[in-house]
Amino acid sequence: MTSVMLEARNLSFSYQRPIVRDISFSLEAGTITGIIGPNGSGKTTALRLLSGIISPLSGDVLLWGDRPLSKMKRKEIARHIAMVPQNGGVYQYQTVFQFAIQGRSPHLSLLGFESPADEEITMEALEMTQLTRYIRSRVSEISGGEKQRLLLARALVQQTEILLLDEFTANLDINYQVELLRLVRRITRERNLTTLVVSHEINLLGAFSDRIILMSQGEIRHHGSVQEALTQEHLSQMFSLNFSTRLLPDGNVEVLPIITKDALNNN
Amino acid sequence: MNRLSSARIFWVSMALLGAWFIVALASLNIGSVSIPVRTSLKLLTGHLTGNPIADPLDSVIFSVRLPRVLLGSLVGAALATAGAAFQSLLRNPLADPYVLGVSTGASMGTILYSVLASWLGYMANMGGAVYARPLAAFLGAAFTVGAVYVIAGSDRSGETSQRLLLAGIVLASFLSSINVFLLTSTNQADLRGIFYWLIGDLSRPVDASIYPVTFLVFAGSLLLYRFSHSLNLIGMGEIDAMILGVEVGRVKTVVYIIASLITGAVVSVSGPIAYIGLICPHLARMMFGNDNRILFPTVFVFGAIFTLVADTLARTVLSPAELPVGIVTALCGAPLFVYLLRRKARA
Repeated sequence: MTSVMLEARNLSFSYQRPIVRDISFSLEAGTITGIIGPNGSGKTTALRLLSGIISPLSGDVLLWGDRPLSKMKRKEIARHIAMVPQNGGVYQYQTVFQFAIQGRSPHLSLLGFESPADEEITMEALEMTQLTRYIRSRVSEISGGEKQRLLLARALVQQTEILLLDEFTANLDINYQVELLRLVRRITRERNLTTLVVSHEINLLGAFSDRIILMSQGEIRHHGSVQEALTQEHLSQMFSLNFSTRLLPDGNVEVLPIITKDALNNN
Repeated sequence: MNRLSSARIFWVSMALLGAWFIVALASLNIGSVSIPVRTSLKLLTGHLTGNPIADPLDSVIFSVRLPRVLLGSLVGAALATAGAAFQSLLRNPLADPYVLGVSTGASMGTILYSVLASWLGYMANMGGAVYARPLAAFLGAAFTVGAVYVIAGSDRSGETSQRLLLAGIVLASFLSSINVFLLTSTNQADLRGIFYWLIGDLSRPVDASIYPVTFLVFAGSLLLYRFSHSLNLIGMGEIDAMILGVEVGRVKTVVYIIASLITGAVVSVSGPIAYIGLICPHLARMMFGNDNRILFPTVFVFGAIFTLVADTLARTVLSPAELPVGIVTALCGAPLFVYLLRRKARA
């Protein structure tokens, strides 16, 4: 039996124009799902809908397949769903520790304060993300990669079952990206999390995800295993470029965009 | 770790209240007639125990200085708290009811009310007047907040907060002119008093409206405290706050209304005293850090202490002449504003 943790059912959303059109999929516990798609394909909006930050025009997001987020309070949602936003918030006057412990907020009572247990949970997350030596540093003093780790730590401190990561590894060097995703994968397995990652790094997502969702123009083009999703045909349709794909011995798929001189000149 | 707990906040607040008491006592004793501490303590305990002592100084303390000390404390506490709230909301340490034009808007509400009341004559004598003036001030304050938002517009670039401040400053100078126009055109007898009130003045005798004003300030500050941690999280950014479970829209609306309400309430009595909402949160942050859960209670007492000191200076520096307290606070506040602005520009 599979256990559905989070389900999107016929979600639609528009600002001035439709951003997300009637998307449906479900995510299972202990898995990493990668969302790939061109800019403006509605990936970030889909993630925000799933986290309950914005409400869909139609459709609903269901926790455990039967609890609609639209019927839940924000604080309750935050005890089950954590998200690392793109360009996540940073409060320059806070220390790394003060920033991370804010992840306990959904678990605090109205006028509550963080207990020693909350501090322990925070320290554990900071250890996992290798930030313990910075706990007294100000958030403004740490590097871009460390900030991403700090945002991940804050999300872990929330102790949710579901983790949503938006452009989590953007602007980081390749080694750092691999390191971060390795960490995400380890945590997902250890804590049996349901993890959804939006990224432009097709090869990385291919290597680290269990399932892939391809999105363009607000619609889901494909949802399946890495090998099923990352085909020349699918990718060419989505990005209007030619791709070469190669199945590696370990089952991973290697993807290369083919950018010919013709393609560069031909505008 | 310097952990925050209700016990810590309680003891810090108690210590500050002790400091406030000492400053208040000193303020009772300093003035054109100086009264020894022992005498005023004796007179105070006499009143508290119900056996007032006959002393010519009694009326100086109880009719003149004590009401003023209490009024100054109330006004200072309210403006400092409103300042801390606006700073959290706009994520800008320069926000303050005076800078944002909210105080000036509240004074316009008060003036419009007096003008209307004198036209309608009888209205002023009705019991409702006690609530009507603070209410008018609140409407003026709320109107200004709305207007500042409309002028500043909104976008996603994160520049909104700076534009809000500019809009506030512009609107404040505009409303000041309207205030002076209204007052001059209505042929008021007490021009000096009005001039002082426009700068922020605690020397005018209060009427019964002080009771609803006091209630509003205490109830509003308590309510604001309820949102202190949500405001901490909004400090990181609205998306982050939502992710961590804050109903951002609701919190922002309620905090705006309360902060305008307590600003309006005290401005209807004291006039727009400048920069208290800028100076006191800054001092409190330097001492106790940025967490609103400790900032809100401490800034409340800080506001009271600071305003008392400023007002005591205002009525003694040029003795027997008196300055409006707003002059003293502006003399301290304007340089601090420049300092914060430059530090923000460097950051």
